[in-house]
Amino acid sequence: MISTAQDLHPAPALEPGRTILELRGLEKRYPGTHALKPVNLAFKSGEIHAIVGENGAGKSTLIKLLTGVMPRTSGEVIWEGQPAALATPHEAMALGINAVHQEVVLCRHLTVAANMFLGEENSRFGILQQRAMVKEAQKIIDDLGFDLPAHVTLGDLTIGQQQLIAAARATVRGTKFLIFDEPTAYLTRKEADQLFTLIRRLKGEGVTIIYISHRMEEVFELADRVSVLRDGTLVGTRNIAETNDAELVKMMINRSIEQVYHKEHFTPGAAIIEARNLSGKGFEDISMTVRAGEIVGLYGLIGAGRSEFVTTLYGRHRKSAGQILWQDKPVQVNSEHDAIKLGMALAPESRRDQGLCLNLPVGLNLNLPIYKRISNNLLISSAQEKTQADRQIADLRIKTPTRGALASSLSGGNQQKIVIGKWLAHGAKLFIFDEPTVGVDVGTKAEIYRLFGALLSKGAGIILISSYLPEVYELADTLHVFRRGRLVASHGFRAASHEDVLTQAIG
Amino acid sequence: MSTEVIPVEKPKRNYNVLFGLTLLALLVLLWIILSLATPSFASGNNIANLLRQGSMIAIMAVGQTFVIITGGIDLSVGAVVGFATVIVALLINAGVPIWLAILATLLVGVAIGMFHGFGIVKMGLPPFIITLATLTSLRGIGLLMTNGNSININSDSFTAFSRNSFIGIPNLFWMVILVGIPAYVFLHHSRWGRYLFSVGSNAEASRLSGVNVQRTIYMAYTLSGLCAAFVGVLLAARIGIGNPTQAEGWELQAIASSVIGGTSLFGAVGSVHGPLLGAFILATINNGANLLNVNSFWQRIITGALIIIIVYFDGLRRRGK
Repeated sequence: MISTAQDLHPAPALEPGRTILELRGLEKRYPGTHALKPVNLAFKSGEIHAIVGENGAGKSTLIKLLTGVMPRTSGEVIWEGQPAALATPHEAMALGINAVHQEVVLCRHLTVAANMFLGEENSRFGILQQRAMVKEAQKIIDDLGFDLPAHVTLGDLTIGQQQLIAAARATVRGTKFLIFDEPTAYLTRKEADQLFTLIRRLKGEGVTIIYISHRMEEVFELADRVSVLRDGTLVGTRNIAETNDAELVKMMINRSIEQVYHKEHFTPGAAIIEARNLSGKGFEDISMTVRAGEIVGLYGLIGAGRSEFVTTLYGRHRKSAGQILWQDKPVQVNSEHDAIKLGMALAPESRRDQGLCLNLPVGLNLNLPIYKRISNNLLISSAQEKTQADRQIADLRIKTPTRGALASSLSGGNQQKIVIGKWLAHGAKLFIFDEPTVGVDVGTKAEIYRLFGALLSKGAGIILISSYLPEVYELADTLHVFRRGRLVASHGFRAASHEDVLTQAIG
Repeated sequence: MSTEVIPVEKPKRNYNVLFGLTLLALLVLLWIILSLATPSFASGNNIANLLRQGSMIAIMAVGQTFVIITGGIDLSVGAVVGFATVIVALLINAGVPIWLAILATLLVGVAIGMFHGFGIVKMGLPPFIITLATLTSLRGIGLLMTNGNSININSDSFTAFSRNSFIGIPNLFWMVILVGIPAYVFLHHSRWGRYLFSVGSNAEASRLSGVNVQRTIYMAYTLSGLCAAFVGVLLAARIGIGNPTQAEGWELQAIASSVIGGTSLFGAVGSVHGPLLGAFILATINNGANLLNVNSFWQRIITGALIIIIVYFDGLRRRGK
């Protein structure tokens, strides 16, 4: 079967405001954990219902129950008036329940069109109708207003574009209930806008949207209602017009918003690193200095050259021109090894791909940069290995049963603490944090920011890359704005308005 | 932060030890059954023979495991064994002192391993391809050097070694201990061992953490080549000839031993004791099948079935079911 853009939703628009799905005492227990305490909640057709909460609050559990990935422990789910078992993903999809996940779960090596119709290919006598599918896919994509080709390999698109394809894919299957899990984590503003257009359009067609996000401004931009989960309990549901940022954050974490961005000011000391007219692949003619005790924020859109700039500082890529000075002396940084020896530490953007050895223990991950120090010529000191790992786990409040647990078993926020924490024992002078809080909840964010303060107080300097403006705005002592590989503006702490910075970044 | 309970799996503490004990139990069970089923199994001669055969695969499996932990594979080890028998035979027959002949042969193994590292790191070839290429070329080079003939080794003191025993245990089995203990210390108690795991788990994260990924890969293949060359020396001593076509298919036995011993072909999971036990389980099955007059073709089928069963159950346990 193949659906055309016109008959994406062949059923007449659902009557808005009718209850489509109701949770009655829905509950999930894991051995030793009460992941979701009995939840009563009704979703209406044609509403955008945001769900917010910290990592581990029960959002993922709720999604898994609704999409049939996991069986519930007790309670009932009523779908259009009838009890639904939701025992398998297939059953959920057959009802019209679909999900778009934070990480794209599609086949990177297949074309966009092949992905769109994966499992529902159009074939004649067993032969795939490839050209017809590409045409159909292109029509759907064009119709949604995404400026993307359907014949290219999915992996050639940016993560953000792939996410849009994943969203488009979810809409072509007679979806009545669509769950978005942190869809904008890797999107540019423009891509996010396209996604929002798509979401509003689906709402107009009577589709119920569950929107899960850590970004409050998106919740207020999109949602009609918002529900807050904390520790597996539904704390409350509000009409969006009757609530505000501060109330939601307080419901989520029992703590006020001022305490999230915890900024400590130190008098900047000597220069740690200086880039002089540095050029390389993806950036040109960048000059900046990072001094002891200061946070230098790099703001810009994805692809503006910030990551390329810092990875060149870190020896990952070769510079093509310019100079790097480390503590006022010119240096050659030819490899990550050189950079680490000088005293740099990089917490990369993608913790799964670049930051963690997921199927290895937490302790090994934490100790990885310092094994040389905790071993003599031949052997590792197992006592030191233990104490170092346990100290980081305690200091960073990493929630893990033991240092022997696999990194993959921890929540995203706790994984991020490992990525950052492994550098603390190493004693680096310059810390580079590339998008340190993507997909991390408010509570963990606050802890990470407090950690910045602790590093600065020890005389370290920090380069903070973020696509999330409030983060760099509230934390950076100096804020550099990147646009298309160039440094276009620099500001002091809170010296320019949000609007100015945004305008400079977009150009 | 609130004191919420997070859904974390229980750590698989001492999982390696438990799995090792299970394998050991399996091995002992096989021995008991075979002792009861056949009169000849428990004879000193047969046990010594079994240990000799298992020992050589066991040593190869250790080297192979280092490579597999990094997420690679070394298909060349069987060919390296055959090639090494030729080198050591030629050197000894040319009058080179035995210790020097052995040392030179081991260095040849190191050189082959370095070449694999070079192919993977510098030329960007997949491990499967580069080691497959040396598998076939080494056999060819060996055949060229010997004109396709076997070389009889004319040194009794060399060949006696593999046949003799020390305090009742075959010398070849002592060699397993000689290799196994340093290998264990290296893998589990040195930082290079940790790096093998970290590279196998996530090379990029390891690089960004300051691990020299290239050197780690060189090291793994070099050790595998070294182990294989050492086995070549032992084999030459045991059969008294150098022949490049020896040890055909041993690479698969080494890989099978490693996998039966709990090594994951996806990398980052493995031990030293596992492959050793795996090798002796395989050797026992082959030996027992011979004694029971089971068609030797069935032995291959049994080996295949065993791999499927053990890896399946291991996978179930790792997923925590």
